[in-house]
Amino acid sequence: MTSFSPHRAFAVARKEVMHILRDPFTLALALGLPVMLVTFFGYAIDFEVKDIRLAVYDRDGGPAARRLKEIFSASGYFRPVEPEAAAGPIGMLDSGRASAALFLEPGFSRTIKGGGEAPAQFVLDGSDNSKAAAVAGYLPGIAGAARLRLSGPGGGEPFYAETRFLYNHELNSRWFTVPGLSAIIIGLLAILLTALTVAREWENGSMELLLSTPVRPLEIMAGKLVPYGVLVLAGVVFVYLSSRLVFGVPFEGGHLLYLAACVLFITAALSQGLLISVLARQQQVAMQFALITGLLPSMLLSGFIFPVESMPRFFRALTMLLAPRWFMAAVRGITLKGADLSELSEPFLALGLLAAGMLALALKKFKTDLEP
Amino acid sequence: MGITLRAFIRKELVQTLRDTRRRVLLFGAPVIQLTIFGLALSTEIKNIRLAVFSRPDDAMFLRLAERFYASGWFVPAVRGPGDDPMELIASGGADAALIAPAEGLRRSAERGSGKMQLLVDASNASKARAVEAYSKSVISEAALREYGTPLRTPVRFDVRVLYNPAMRSSLYLVPGVMGMLVCLITIILTAMSLAREREVGTFETIVSAPLSDLEVLLGKTVPYVILGLLDAALVVGAGYMIFGVPVRGPLWQLALASMVFVVATVAIGTFVSTVSRNQQQAMLGGFIFLFPAMLMSGIMYPVENMPGAMIAAAYLDPLMYFVRLLRNIMLKGGAPGVFWTDVGAMALMALASAGLAYRRFRRTLN
Repeated sequence: MTSFSPHRAFAVARKEVMHILRDPFTLALALGLPVMLVTFFGYAIDFEVKDIRLAVYDRDGGPAARRLKEIFSASGYFRPVEPEAAAGPIGMLDSGRASAALFLEPGFSRTIKGGGEAPAQFVLDGSDNSKAAAVAGYLPGIAGAARLRLSGPGGGEPFYAETRFLYNHELNSRWFTVPGLSAIIIGLLAILLTALTVAREWENGSMELLLSTPVRPLEIMAGKLVPYGVLVLAGVVFVYLSSRLVFGVPFEGGHLLYLAACVLFITAALSQGLLISVLARQQQVAMQFALITGLLPSMLLSGFIFPVESMPRFFRALTMLLAPRWFMAAVRGITLKGADLSELSEPFLALGLLAAGMLALALKKFKTDLEP
Repeated sequence: MGITLRAFIRKELVQTLRDTRRRVLLFGAPVIQLTIFGLALSTEIKNIRLAVFSRPDDAMFLRLAERFYASGWFVPAVRGPGDDPMELIASGGADAALIAPAEGLRRSAERGSGKMQLLVDASNASKARAVEAYSKSVISEAALREYGTPLRTPVRFDVRVLYNPAMRSSLYLVPGVMGMLVCLITIILTAMSLAREREVGTFETIVSAPLSDLEVLLGKTVPYVILGLLDAALVVGAGYMIFGVPVRGPLWQLALASMVFVVATVAIGTFVSTVSRNQQQAMLGGFIFLFPAMLMSGIMYPVENMPGAMIAAAYLDPLMYFVRLLRNIMLKGGAPGVFWTDVGAMALMALASAGLAYRRFRRTLN
């Protein structure tokens, strides 16, 4: 019994599958999470900030002020609300009844009619990160529209750029969030479930029992990991099917390449889960470890929502060591851009190295801890 | 409170804090996470890799390109001499490409066209939107400089950002991240700790001890309320010391809001544990609650943006109220009217979930 026996590994795998199947509640929860995430990101979440409540304090009342208000509401981003005299602008922002306020002083329309530049004060609620940056970003566009509409003919730009959005012409948020969910689901299920399931064997003392059988550590590991790998892959297939069939997200690239990226990332994630369980040996500790090193990086440092390029240099370097970041790059490249392996050589190389490294590390730790 | 109950709570606390790894995870991890998120995450899009394509003698266009790179939003994309703009974006070498008119920008502008092409990689839609907005503002600015007077801007916006004038993203993120971390720790830990007793079989020992149902429940939950509050204080302190995030409102408001919120989440965690048989189930069940709670909380994008039914659901999300309260207290100084309605709503939820958890807990005991 020196070499790896697929037969014994298979027996452990069968036991693990029976464990999973005997507990339909866990299985339902494990499969319910992807369904819930896809529903949320598919239906509820739109990163385009709209309907910003704008309180307009118009002390001018002239035609140009009226037109400026029209420009704000026609942009689709702002919804003018009646200013409340009692609360005052700061009071309205304090209580959250308005997110921004616009002040137009007397003489605003006269200045513009006379060809001058009229100041307009714009006050913004800076306590809400999801809104403030977006609102500030809309203002140049509003100023541009005001230039065209308020100055009349001759106010056009001497040069301008016509924008073409590649790969997602209508800037549909779903097209980039839903395919990216596969990274979250792998980060969540593969790492957490394996970390917990192996830690449970330690915690309950059944690992010693398993070790006293003729099954070798390597076979235990393979047998424990493969069923979870299949379970996680089912979650990914669900994300794939729902994004294509329900949300109409295009899939431009090769399926084989996509599968390869998934397998590499799942390998890395499962190995990470195993490594955590060996280090933690208790389910609660394992869970917290997995959360910090697995789920949060896949959600926040992978570029899923916050672009990696916007991070400070140190963190950009740090993300190079995170498999989810490379997986996200590969998935976005394959689904939306139709990139092939030569264009994605960098993410694939990194994913492969990280998966191999993590697997080797987990194996080594697992073996040194188990073998006499 | 009886002596037995106090002893029980102490035993639970000692048990949780005895292990060094646990202490590190409970108190070290939130601070590390806060630091990483505060430093790394920014809603502002920066370092957009822009490639420009023009004839080498197009001076006006090259000046425009310089303006792009000087704006702080764009950096030059690395490219070879024979690269095609589309291929460069496809391979991920650039995020955007600006292509000059073939005849040169000055000649084209003077003929009355002046049309350039901006190709934007929209595989990340929010980023693409920002790239377009930034480009437009750089281009209008450049047009103004090149052609001076004929181009008037009738309205000049003086933008003042209240509560966060420098628009520092750490100031934005700390209240949201704090709510998220406290929620995560209390719900999952409470749920798993109770489920663990059942899984390992020590639950029977506790039940056979001379304690009433309520005492058992309090003994198992009060330690997590204490730990949750300690974590909340720790995160506020770290936010203040590392990022200078202020607490502009009164401290008692912050303490009361955190207290009510932690009671609510611990009660939810207890409820989750009563419906799960082992720690794995408790963890997954906790996430089934946590994900919608985090996504509907307004931490990452505004609640008002969601469809109607989701907005209604968001009003049942304690985390939504807590994050709103934290932003209000820490950054705005705590407007009293809003404070009491939000705390009241959270207290109702805490009561309802505590009642529900108690009923289920008693049923599982007997």
